[in-house]
Amino acid sequence: MDTTGFVTRRSFLGTSAAVGLALAGRRYVSSSAGRLEAAEAEAAADSSGAGGKAGPVIDCHAHLTHHSRKDYQERDRKLIEAADKLGIDQLCCSILTPRRPATADGFRQCNLWVAEAMKRFKGRVLGYCYVNPGYTREALEEIRRCVEERGFIGIKLYNEYRCTEPVVFPVVELAIELRVPILHHAGHGHYPFPNQPRISDGGDLAELGRRYPEARLICAHIGGGGDWEWTIKALRHGDNVFLDTSGSVVDEGMIELAARVLGVARLVFGCDMSMTAGVGKIRGARLTPEAKQKILGGNMRRLLEMRG
Amino acid sequence: MIIDTNAYLGFFAFRQLRHNTAEGLLRLMDEKGIDRAMVSSASAITYRDAQAGNEEVAAAVDSHRDRLIPFAVINPAYAGWKDDLKICHEQFGMKGLRLYPKWHNYALSDRPCLDLIHEATGRGMVVSVPIRVEDYRQRSWLVDVPDVPLDEIVALVRACPKARFILLNGIGYTRTLLGQKNGGLPANYWIEISRLTALLANEVGELVSRLGADRVVFGSGMPFKYPDPSLLKLEVLDAPPEVKQKIRSANAARLLQPQR
Repeated sequence: MDTTGFVTRRSFLGTSAAVGLALAGRRYVSSSAGRLEAAEAEAAADSSGAGGKAGPVIDCHAHLTHHSRKDYQERDRKLIEAADKLGIDQLCCSILTPRRPATADGFRQCNLWVAEAMKRFKGRVLGYCYVNPGYTREALEEIRRCVEERGFIGIKLYNEYRCTEPVVFPVVELAIELRVPILHHAGHGHYPFPNQPRISDGGDLAELGRRYPEARLICAHIGGGGDWEWTIKALRHGDNVFLDTSGSVVDEGMIELAARVLGVARLVFGCDMSMTAGVGKIRGARLTPEAKQKILGGNMRRLLEMRG
Repeated sequence: MIIDTNAYLGFFAFRQLRHNTAEGLLRLMDEKGIDRAMVSSASAITYRDAQAGNEEVAAAVDSHRDRLIPFAVINPAYAGWKDDLKICHEQFGMKGLRLYPKWHNYALSDRPCLDLIHEATGRGMVVSVPIRVEDYRQRSWLVDVPDVPLDEIVALVRACPKARFILLNGIGYTRTLLGQKNGGLPANYWIEISRLTALLANEVGELVSRLGADRVVFGSGMPFKYPDPSLLKLEVLDAPPEVKQKIRSANAARLLQPQR
């Protein structure tokens, strides 16, 4: 097989080991000096490069194409090809309605298409059930159907409601009962986000997490949600809120700050369709191979294993 | 050989940068296998007198000129820009410009800006234009600086056919004349890849196909950004080695050659 242009899992992790080796024996001045130095020294000590047994790489935030686009099959196929090239084993996917707020018929149709894709790309595509919490009865029925009958792994919520609004609570309570995570669209800017008056931010998700400590929440796309430093700090005490590393923004130091403030165990790798950005920022982060392995798949796998 | 057309030294007013000294950037470049980089002052983006930033960069790269290629940030709306340009070129040996029309509050079509580009071109300097500095969604409450619209770039490349432009930190070229094969524009601009996709929509591949492999250049945006995503794009780009080599360094090297 011609592997030109393919990225191996080892290359996800090997870079950090090389960095560690390059830096071994000298102090490296950075804003997070103490902890990073320790991490780099650990990486330097790991001469294997790969840093132990590698688990699957799981993209926690991906989207399949709505079937109103004629080329949806080709676009979905390209996503799988991109995952192949980048060494991503599994993609956790939803389909959103082109127009929001979604109707009940609209989100049910999207989820049916995700279920079809889970069969078409068996083992590669994992499904999030997308609902609009405003349709309480329909949303709860749909979540139960998708998780219990179709094998979906979680719930996707967008910006129809801020996550601290009471209308969202029944969805969170059902997620706890079914033992599945909720991936929640989020962002925080210092100017209003156009057309997103009810977008949630890291502070809202931390508040929701405090209200429901048994819930497992994922704050979406740190690289696509505005002031990422604000978001990381807002999530500091939200212990049951994970942070998805996806998005097109690849600001240097973003992943290290998230690891330092939140801990590696709360970070989950994602691309949100910005494929090289998603992978590249993990590759570039100055973390140990073990830490990267947890971010790339270990932490998400633990979330998926909640359901058993 | 990799030449990065999009790198910086110094401080940015709204976020802490790491690897932002000459030594720090060179260490990062060593780790990533980047041989040379075109660098300008990040501080000069918000200094009122950008020349102070140019002086800092000139001092910083002085003993690293084999690898760090200094570019000048010149504000043509500020007093003394002609003197600054002359000093940057003749004393500091700067090879090109970086223009920030939105941050420095002038229009690319303003007479002084066109004069600056004309004079720089006469000196054989390359003119780079960052379409943005940071993602607009994270902009500070203090400033609300928009991206440079690509239609303003279209007008600029038309207005200055003899100049050589490098367009940094941009995206969506294929939706404008800049990314069209027969767009009717002079072939006087090169497009840097740090915000472009190399998978799915694959704008890098589209631009290579439409404009030719001679018109796309490698850039990372370091130390604002991790260099790894841009390096990864070169790895996964579905293109023959000779095309990748042009993007990686050959096109940038040609831009740096002395002009008659």
